[in-house]
Amino acid sequence: MRDPMNPDYRPMRLDEIDDSLQKEIREKCGVDVEMCMECGKCSGGCSNGHVFDYTPRKVVQLVKLNAEDTLINMDALWICLSCHLCSDRCPSGIDTPRILDYMREKAYRKGVTTRPKIRLFHELMLSSVQKSGRISELPLIFKYNWMSGQYMKDAILGLKLLLKGKLSFHSPGVKAKEDIRRMFSGSSAKRTWGEP
Amino acid sequence: MGNRTKTAVVIGAGPAGIEAALKIAQAGFRAILVEKEAELGGTLKQLCSSFPRWEDPQELLDSKILELQACPEVAIRKNTVVTAGTPNGNGYIVTLSDALNAQSDEVLADAIVLATGFELMDISIYGEYGYGVYPDVLNALEFEATLKEWKLGKGKPPKGVALFKCVGSRDRSKGNPYCSKICCMYTAKQAGMVKELFPEAKVYVFYMDYRAAGKEYEEFVREVIEKRHVRYVRGRPSKVLCEDGRLLVRAEDTLLGLPVEVLVDIVVLAPAVVPRPTTRRLAQMFGAKTDEYGFIEPDRFNPVQTAARTFFAGGCGFAVETPLAQQQGAAAAANVIALFRLK
Amino acid sequence: MNIAYFPGCSVHAMASEYDRSTRLVCNSLEVHLEEVTDWNCCGASAAHSVDHVLALELNGRNLAAARRMGFDKITTPCAGCFNRLKTAGFELKSSGLVKGDIPDVMHLLQFLTEQIGLDKIAASVTRSARSLKLAAYYGCLITRPRKIAGFDDPEQPGSMDRILRAIGAETVKWSHKTECCGGAFAASETSIVIDLAGQVLEAARQAGAQAIVVACPMCQANLDTRQKSIEKDRGIIYGLPIIYFTQLIALAFGHPVREAGLRRLLVSPLPLLKKSGLA
Repeated sequence: MRDPMNPDYRPMRLDEIDDSLQKEIREKCGVDVEMCMECGKCSGGCSNGHVFDYTPRKVVQLVKLNAEDTLINMDALWICLSCHLCSDRCPSGIDTPRILDYMREKAYRKGVTTRPKIRLFHELMLSSVQKSGRISELPLIFKYNWMSGQYMKDAILGLKLLLKGKLSFHSPGVKAKEDIRRMFSGSSAKRTWGEP
Repeated sequence: MGNRTKTAVVIGAGPAGIEAALKIAQAGFRAILVEKEAELGGTLKQLCSSFPRWEDPQELLDSKILELQACPEVAIRKNTVVTAGTPNGNGYIVTLSDALNAQSDEVLADAIVLATGFELMDISIYGEYGYGVYPDVLNALEFEATLKEWKLGKGKPPKGVALFKCVGSRDRSKGNPYCSKICCMYTAKQAGMVKELFPEAKVYVFYMDYRAAGKEYEEFVREVIEKRHVRYVRGRPSKVLCEDGRLLVRAEDTLLGLPVEVLVDIVVLAPAVVPRPTTRRLAQMFGAKTDEYGFIEPDRFNPVQTAARTFFAGGCGFAVETPLAQQQGAAAAANVIALFRLK
Repeated sequence: MNIAYFPGCSVHAMASEYDRSTRLVCNSLEVHLEEVTDWNCCGASAAHSVDHVLALELNGRNLAAARRMGFDKITTPCAGCFNRLKTAGFELKSSGLVKGDIPDVMHLLQFLTEQIGLDKIAASVTRSARSLKLAAYYGCLITRPRKIAGFDDPEQPGSMDRILRAIGAETVKWSHKTECCGGAFAASETSIVIDLAGQVLEAARQAGAQAIVVACPMCQANLDTRQKSIEKDRGIIYGLPIIYFTQLIALAFGHPVREAGLRRLLVSPLPLLKKSGLA
């Protein structure tokens, strides 16, 4: 288990913590973390909880403690599967995947990640969508393997799939590419992959 | 009307109803004690042991039955339900239907005491726990039956038992938002009993809190944890899975902040306490109000009164433990007696 | 019956057998699938993970296209696309930014069981899947989160089991019906898939299943293409074919094995299907 506390930890002064993050999460994500009764049902069933540095219940607690830095720098952010076991079982209906999506977007824009390969994969996927409006699996895998330095990853598997016709070099794209381009260059979301 | 002895119809012969009927009768009035089952006792009959003193509930029941036998002013009507109640002057004409003889008769009631008790929520909606899917996932009352079997030396000894609290209680998503009050205590009792019968068994209680607000209650739970070695794990379980033919529980140990798993043979769920459907029906019949869940709504200043001549006691008002049901039954009886003595 | 059809990006290659068998089944049931005009990617995990607004816009475009085509319902075979489209629909509706009705989104499993009905499906069976013992695997997103999916039960679902029983098969009782397979991390963090998909395979094996039936391209890929790696990791041979439910229905409706794309699965279902008389 990784120790999330830094060695210079001094006890938090709870009366000095404001509720700005809590308010922000409530406004932007529609999630009121005050409803959390800290039961742990979310964490108990979390698909990947056993490899998280912060379990879902702890994520909610961190929001209550205004710990934005911890949330942006955590590893769990990147390996959450959005399987929604937590939110569906929560007796208060707290949408933790939504909180994680929100914090991950912040981390992404700051260029912070503990999982560069996962971040790369998201970026390449979205690049593919940006270019053609759809995902082309084989070019995506090639690019990913190349850019992550895993040149031979899944090579044998890839060959098997290719022979079975499960991978193709080119997939048709969207015709109205301007629609897609507009989405990616809209000022409503300041994107980090630049203008197309 | 003048010389007829005033009569109360007490609906339900659990500890609350029995107490009410006895006190009303012992004060010189009449009580008709109506019970839908073939035997008296209500939910009490099903219980194996009690908190906080590990006493046998059957002894209480036997004692009360003796008292009733010595009290002819209580007319006991078993296998009987109330099918109608019409206002009649300062009382009601109550129709009693005997299921065994398929007969109905009418009685005059000068007061009503509702003592219909509670039941346990149907928790098959908690699919994550597999109730109704896996045969070894039981609710608390079914487990009382298992405990009774084990006490008689029957049934298969368990190697591991997990007990979950708050299934359907304190849940604004799928169940009821309220706390059902008695489960923390009876779960400790059940867990303690397993250890008494099978000291080598591994017994786990999964909890959010444990609520031991009563005389000798805290000491009882500490005894279960410290002397009987039941392991309490803080975390509401997330799922029950199957592994190697046994049941695997997944939860978070929130005190440690890590997901944990435990392999057991039996999972016991403590369901939310809910009112019986008949309670609402009877409430309407006798001018009583019920809350959004169907529990009887009390008068603001009189916690056992719900209408001019209608009183209530026990589980139909909210979850109660046995002594409290008796207390409320006696309080309802006092109200009836005061009413009957009004000139 | 006509319905708007959102195939999803994997139909072109990785999951083309799912698309093909879906079309075969719908043909037999006299359902006409009208592909959403110029549909674009739903954004999969990537969009909602790092750009909430993009995820909404990508799917807003798809929903608008279906509405322009005159449809008030869309069906999609992919659980991921279903979740993204439906989530976008909910958010757009509650935002008040969109005028008029937004098309309702149904996963293919929901469409077949609710709009077509088990009776009609059973009536079209020419070859029974009798003697097959199957584990119906729903994965995460067909039934979760319940507020979005609004279909079946997220913990003990039964729709796929019922549809498989309608074609004559037996389904096993097992605990991992809706546990996650590892989703989108197949390439970027394969260890997660080895762990989670491995647990699903193990649970199916312990329940006595001969094959696992799926309704999502991601689940199929994870359980099928990674099965050899999982076997190596766990030291257990599974040999469990991972079959799309529409492939089995297509076979039961009399379509041949090749047309239903069954030779494309890495863990071959052919020996099992031959033994059961479906191939």
